[in-house]
Order: sequence, then C-alpha cells, then structure tokens
Amino acid sequence: MTAMTAAVTSVSVTGAFGLSDFTIGIIGAIVCIFISFYALMRETDDLHRLLLTDLIEVIALIAIALLGTDLAEALILPGLVVGVAELTAMSQIYTVKEKLVREPDSFLDIEIMHTAPAIIAVGMLIYGIILSGFTGGAVAGLGMLFYFVCRGTDEKTEILETISGYAWVMWVIAFMIFMILPAYWFFALMLAGAGILAKVAIKISILGTMRKNDGNGGSRQIGGGND
Amino acid sequence: MTIIRKVSRILQNHNNLTAVYALVVIIVAAIGLISVAVGDITFEKNQLYPKTINPDSPLNPYDRGGEPFALADIKAQYPDNSPNLGYITGYLSPLAILLTKISPHLGTTIVAHPGGILDEILYSTRGLDTIVETSILFVAFTTAMFLYRRDEE
Amino acid sequence: MINTVCDEMCLPPTDMLYGSPYEFLETGIEGQALFNLPFGDIVNFLTPYTAVLFIFALTFTIIAAISKPERQVDTVFGGDACYTKDIPQDTLRFQRFMAIACGLATMGGIMAGDVFNFTLFTAFIGITNIGIVAAVKNKHILDNAFEYGLLAMIGTLPLFVGAALVLATTGTLSMWGLFNSSAAVPLFAKLLLVIGVIAEGMAPVFVAKAEITRAPGAPFILMVHVSSLLIFLRMIEIVISV
Repeated sequence: MTAMTAAVTSVSVTGAFGLSDFTIGIIGAIVCIFISFYALMRETDDLHRLLLTDLIEVIALIAIALLGTDLAEALILPGLVVGVAELTAMSQIYTVKEKLVREPDSFLDIEIMHTAPAIIAVGMLIYGIILSGFTGGAVAGLGMLFYFVCRGTDEKTEILETISGYAWVMWVIAFMIFMILPAYWFFALMLAGAGILAKVAIKISILGTMRKNDGNGGSRQIGGGND
Repeated sequence: MTIIRKVSRILQNHNNLTAVYALVVIIVAAIGLISVAVGDITFEKNQLYPKTINPDSPLNPYDRGGEPFALADIKAQYPDNSPNLGYITGYLSPLAILLTKISPHLGTTIVAHPGGILDEILYSTRGLDTIVETSILFVAFTTAMFLYRRDEE
Repeated sequence: MINTVCDEMCLPPTDMLYGSPYEFLETGIEGQALFNLPFGDIVNFLTPYTAVLFIFALTFTIIAAISKPERQVDTVFGGDACYTKDIPQDTLRFQRFMAIACGLATMGGIMAGDVFNFTLFTAFIGITNIGIVAAVKNKHILDNAFEYGLLAMIGTLPLFVGAALVLATTGTLSMWGLFNSSAAVPLFAKLLLVIGVIAEGMAPVFVAKAEITRAPGAPFILMVHVSSLLIFLRMIEIVISV
C-alpha cells in the first residue's frame, strides 16, 4: 500500500502544442499507418510483404500503448501474441510454398556445441522454473532451444506439441477455477503460471527443433516437398 | 476502357487484393486524421486500471501493484465478478522479492516482476482474452507443425 | 468481506440480470439481452439476433465434426474411366480440427460482450481459416492461403487500433457500457472495426478464386464461409449499437 500513497504521478499529461499526449501519439500512429500501408501497396515481393505485416502489427501495439494504463499493458500481450502466432504460421506457409526446405550447407561445428549443451540447458531450465510465468518460459525455452540446436532431434517435435497441448489445457483449467471457484485463486494462479511456463518454453524449443541439425555439426539434406 | 472495367481488371487478380485493402486502410486513416483534427477523438480521463508511476518504488517503472500477498486497490470494470480482486496482483516470485531488496534499480528488468497487476488482468478479470490468445497461438503452431511435418516426408 | 461475496458468485449466473452491476442492455438490432455469462470483466450475452447466429454456427460446427467428406472423383476425358482421390488421413484430421476450432471461435465471437474480446475472436477465425486453406497440398492453393494470410495479419491492425480507440475515447470496452452510454464511439473507431472484420472475413474470396471448393476435403471449406458470414453479421450489430 505504500506504493499508492507515495508521490504518484499520472501517466497522461499534456504535451507540446497544447495537445494531449494521446492526440500527438494517435497522429504519429496514423502517420505510421500511411507509411507502412503505402509500402505494402507498392511491394510485390512475398517475403518483403511478410516482413511488412510484422511492422504493421507493431503499429497496432503502439495504438494500444497510447492508453498508458495497466489495462493497455495487459492488452498488448494478446495483441503481440496474435501477431507472433500468425507470423509463425505464415512463415511456414511461405517456406512450404516456395519449397525452401534445403538446409544451409555448413553449420557451425565447434567443440563447445558437443560438451556444453546439457549443463547450460539444465541451468537455464531450472532458472526458468524459478522465475515462472512468461519470463521463466522464455528463459527455459531458450535453454531447450540451445540444447536442440546443438544436439539435433528426431521425433521430439510431436512430444513437444503434445506437452504444449497439455499446457494449454492447464491454462484453461486455471481460468475455469478463477471464474467458478474464485476462492482457490492461488492454486489457479500457480497453475496458470506453470502452464505459461510450459507453453512458452515448448514453443520456443519447437523453433529449435525445426532448425534441423543432426548433431554432428554437419547438415542433413532434406528432400524437397513434392506437390 | 471504362472505369468499371479498369476496376474489375485490378480486382480480378487476387494478388492485388492486399494492395487494394492497403489503399482502403489509408483512406480510413485519412478520415481518422481529419477526425482527430476536428477534435472528434478525445482521451477519456476516467480509465480502467489506471497506471501510476512511483519513483520511490524498487520496481519502478513497472511497479504493478501492491505488496506480495497483500490486498491491492484495483479499478476493474465489474468488481463484483472478481471477488478476489487485488490478491492476485500481489504475487511476486521469490526471486523478484529478493531482487527488490537487493537494489532499487532492478525495476527495468522484466526478471524482477513476472507477476503484478498484469496477472490479475490477464488471468482473472480479462481471462477470456488470454484464453483466446493462447488458443490462437496453439492453432497457429499446430498449422506450422502440420505443414512442417507433412513437408518432411 | 471477500468470501461472503464469493458464496453468491459461485452460483450459476442465471438470475444475475436483476440487481446486477450491468445496466439494462438494448442493442440496435432486435432487442435486449436474453441472458448474461460473466467472466470477470468480460460479460458475454446473447440477444435474439445473436442467438440465431449462435445456433447457426453451432449447427455447422456439429456438421463439420461428424461429417465424412466425400472423395473427389476425377473423370478422364476421352474415356469412360474415373478415379477417386484419397485424402490423406492426417490432412483430414487436421482440417476437421481447424473447422471445429473455427466454429468455436465463431460462437465465441458471436457471444462476445467486449470489444477487444470480439477482435481477438475475429483474429482467431482468421488464423483457423488460414489453417483450413493451407492444409491442401497444392502450390496454387498455398499461394492463395499466403495471400489471405497476409490480409488476415494486416487486418489485425484496424481491429486492435479500433478497440484501443473505443477504450481511449469511452473508457470502457464492455458492450454493456457502450450500447447504453451517451459517450459516442468516434466514426474512425467504427470504420476501423468494419475494415478489420472485412480483412479477416475475406477468406471466401480466395476460396472462390482458387477453386478450393473442388480440392480434396472440401466440405470443411464450408466452415470458412459460415464463419465469415456470421462474424460480419455480428460486426454489423456491434457497429450499429455502439
């Protein structure tokens, strides 16, 4: 409670030209819309258009951030995730449609990639679990990503996908507890925290497995997709 | 060539649709700029979940509400629907509590505070948003994995 | 103090409309809310208008769940031979999953009682539509899936900016507040919501253009059309009412 009573400044203040910060911000956002959509209109290369859509997602986040409330901060997260999710699916569609499945010919092969992964990955995993929540998930996921990049994987993607499904279910159960049995909020909070940890960690490490390395430093040739 | 034929020539190619849509967005944005200029869009001061900045807090600028495991004061849309409003926001991980005690300058690192009022909003009061969000992520990854695995064969 | 409130709240929220924190809700189309379903700040509801849409969406979701897509038959010209194409089992399963998810998202969007929640459900419909279309293994169709995906992605900008403007100018996102209040939502925000839904609901155009309806596993394509139509109708209600 001390935080509330101490010197507290409101976020929304009047800015330059006698306009409110919000007005200046929204004008800026509209100018960004002009620029990015004009670029999208002129661009014909598929990859560049895909990159431009990511730029456009950021403008949406700017507009939400202009609110300057805690609610805005909470709304940015779904907005960001929607953008990232769509970008993931779209990049895969792009890769398949352009048949860009061939691996780069050489992959970094140094001694440390054979000895370090286990200890670093375990360390980051434990640290991620201590952190819990979104941050923890990112840290643990990076650890697993590093492990998979170095060691290579075969059939782990399906297992990871299954675990991510369970994480999603945990999240939904936590939400149901919040709504139906609010007295058990602490349990639900921990469940949701663990769910997001698993979800973020697994999704980051899926990217690691999709990197496709057989663990010998060299690359494995993958057959091109056939129609 | 009449104008209708010109327009339909552009529209018949689905590769142009994105460009046409971009044009529509630009037109709407222009309308938006005009309505900002005439003062149609004004910021409502009375907002939900107002954010306050407290320079003395060790979690500044991301002090997201209250002491751990203590009740915080939150302005929600329908407080009656969330009987435990203000409790969840007090959650800070043990590491975060430790960091706040070590230094008053660790507030800018996201490591210091995984919880806070965001948990309250994301999990509890606006939990349905997060359910949809995670579902979107789930579906998108399923799509990507499906395409990836099918391509692998 | 907190726990006493809980005891009432744990009951099913059927009789919540009377003496509830929500004001009387009257939409621009077809009357008032039939019931409400509170999830914290997001209070879902159905009006007679949206109830019809909901039943429509539910019916087609069930159809997608139980239907067995017919096999595509190709006739050989110049002869009397014809052969059926087998749809791979995993493609079928994936498309069925996506179609059901799309149906659920449509129902969620129809029930949404909150503008931001509605935009999220609309984006959800977009991503499931991408999934349904992209499952077909054909370069031409993948091209179309990509084009539609780009449109669905940039469509999230008008949706989210529109929702953010609604919140900024009125101070609330709840339709219970917006449908009644005198605080008018600016035209700009409404236009953004409209063009956002248009982008997400553009899928049938690409479906028709790419003739995906003739591709294997086509019955699930039906869900693309149903979801786009219903989300348009729901968007019209919101834009008229706010």
